[in-house]
Amino acid sequence: MERAAASFPAADFLKARAAEDVAWRLSAILRRFPRAVDLSARSGVFSQKLWESAAAAQVDELVEADLSPAMLGRAEGGGRLRVVADEERLPFAAQSFDLAVSLLSLHWTNDLVGALVQIRRALKPDGLLIATIFGGATLTELRQSLLQAEAEVSDGAGPRVSPFADALDAAGLLQRAGFALPVSDVDRITVRYDHPLKLMADLRAMGEASALADRPRRPLSRRVLARMSDIYAERFRLEDGRIPATFELITLTGWAPHASQPKALMPGSAKMRVADALGVPEQLLARG
Amino acid sequence: MSPSPLKATEVDPRLLEVLVCPATHTPLEYDREAKELISRAAGLAYPIRDGVPVMLPEEARTLTD
Repeated sequence: MERAAASFPAADFLKARAAEDVAWRLSAILRRFPRAVDLSARSGVFSQKLWESAAAAQVDELVEADLSPAMLGRAEGGGRLRVVADEERLPFAAQSFDLAVSLLSLHWTNDLVGALVQIRRALKPDGLLIATIFGGATLTELRQSLLQAEAEVSDGAGPRVSPFADALDAAGLLQRAGFALPVSDVDRITVRYDHPLKLMADLRAMGEASALADRPRRPLSRRVLARMSDIYAERFRLEDGRIPATFELITLTGWAPHASQPKALMPGSAKMRVADALGVPEQLLARG
Repeated sequence: MSPSPLKATEVDPRLLEVLVCPATHTPLEYDREAKELISRAAGLAYPIRDGVPVMLPEEARTLTD
């Protein structure tokens, strides 16, 4: 992670996009979030997008947390509330915040539900979490090409991209972590690159390549990289000669429980038949 | 947010208000001189570097007394 600090600004387009999106979502929610925390502050992308956006008036103060002191050190401006913290061991008192934001960072955690539970505890009742994580279709072209190249060139292929969450799992994870009204939605972004190696360079700059290089421990050989590039180009090349890289961004929103929130009724507790409400005769479905 | 009049090496009281020890979730003591946030419960002193508290147990100093 530390190694990524020097080259981050060149490759933070996804983070900037996610930050803009979250600021926009906040502006559409008609309430104030006096105390907010950004758990993946990096060099302050969300802070910048937030204060530029219509949502700026809804937030009084933003605590910026990141695991990397080098990244935080790049954030400019006095009076910022910065702290080095681990999303898996948050240093925040219970019920501290009205809003928690985490952008493209929670997929790094070993225990996603555990991290979500800690975030929920740090939120005040009825506090909001908005988190963006990479979804399962992220880098699908790269993963397929790498797997094939490794199988051909070396004696075995191993997974080299972090396991990403599934959009359907995501809302369930929030629920398991005790969030109310969990919602997840998916945004797919296709980025075009001149060459697969430029994609690899970009991933390295984003810090995502360490997830690529982590297992197996030995680095990718030149031969595997070269073969991967060929396969990638053969299988996925676009009409303009460039290659696509899919990024799937899953946005999770959930609220810390509060008595005022609507709750689902118990099954069987209905006081009226659906058929009556619709004004149609009731038809029993054949069991199959 | 308006720029704070605090010195760059001081921790903003608004931040101190919400911080607890990440290992024990207990309150911290602010040692201005030593630039540390002390968790008696965990026996750890978290360093403050350039005004930024580093709330990682592996970066903390173990208290000897």
